[in-house]
Amino acid sequence: MVYEVHHNDLTQAQAAEAAVLDFNATWCNPCRMLAPVLEQVSEELAGKALFCGIDVDQNPALAAQFGIQSIPALVVLKNGQPVARQVGFMPKPALRQWLDGLL
Amino acid sequence: MERFDIAIIGSGPAGVSAALTASLRGKPPLLFGSRTLSDKITKAQRIQNYPGLPDVTGPQLRDALLHHLDVMGVPITEARVNAVYAMGDYFAIQTAAGTYEAAAVILATGVVQGKPLPGEQELLGRGVSYCATCDAPLYRGKRVAVVGTSPAAEPEAAYLAEVAASVVYFPLYSGAPRLPGTVQVRRETPTAVLGENTVQALRTGGGDYPVDGVFLLRDAMAPTQLVPGLAGDGGHVAVDARMATNLPGCFACGDAAGLPYQYIKAAGQGNVAALSAVQYLAARRQ
Repeated sequence: MVYEVHHNDLTQAQAAEAAVLDFNATWCNPCRMLAPVLEQVSEELAGKALFCGIDVDQNPALAAQFGIQSIPALVVLKNGQPVARQVGFMPKPALRQWLDGLL
Repeated sequence: MERFDIAIIGSGPAGVSAALTASLRGKPPLLFGSRTLSDKITKAQRIQNYPGLPDVTGPQLRDALLHHLDVMGVPITEARVNAVYAMGDYFAIQTAAGTYEAAAVILATGVVQGKPLPGEQELLGRGVSYCATCDAPLYRGKRVAVVGTSPAAEPEAAYLAEVAASVVYFPLYSGAPRLPGTVQVRRETPTAVLGENTVQALRTGGGDYPVDGVFLLRDAMAPTQLVPGLAGDGGHVAVDARMATNLPGCFACGDAAGLPYQYIKAAGQGNVAALSAVQYLAARRQ
């Protein structure tokens, strides 16, 4: 599943071996489309990475820290460090392929 | 939400042909386009190789196509499609007027003339955006430049003016834009988007404008931009002989699917695309 991040607190994701951050917002159409796709992928990759949803309006400090200028934006963390990023909607096979190459 | 069997995007000869065939096969399509059908065909002086219509003019062929749609009772939905999302078992089609759903999609969007600006693709999502209604809230209190290829871009620029600190608008068309007084209008042609990791400026014939974001609002989007995840092939959509793309249930035809840019080829491919889409729907049902 995709865990909601609150209060700009990324402690759990940074402590995880691998994490996938999904920067989104309620007003963002492609974000709403990506959400169910990411949910499915998070089930398939459960145990391989921690999936976190980050609402940029609720967590502006994180959005600024990662320099998010377009959403949805996915950022992959390895041991707390960003290693890859992808902007925009992705169909499920493409998302799986991208993550399989990273995790 | 009602889910259509087949949505067709574009109303040139390829889209019209696909719509007629889909309709004949019992799948009344959701056809996005306009009653003027296609700018390109309207401007065509004379078409000499369309079988059965010797020396037909562009406007005559357009009227004949429109008449054919009307006779078959195929309506045209006049909404600009902003994005198509492959959701797995269906497609979500986002327009300014709302979102539609279809089990299969046929892209008949034509080709976008012109190349991207230097820096545009490198900085996409890092300050370059194609959709103000999507990304505007991220530019609250920031400086943005908006490039519009037609008056259709003006409402999006006006919306940006409500949230951004400043908006400079570059109309690439004649006529006075109707915009709020806070928007600066500059008649200069943009030549590049500048920046290292994020957008720093828009370069035009008149100089560099330091901005945090550049919105490029063009009338026509390349299909590979319109449909995230769609595989391209040298500026066109990659298709097989069935007009199928890399995304299951998504087909492409006409100029969008590659050379030669010929009306009769577009119509023929539209027919194949519709038959393939019908076949796809039947196979899925089993």
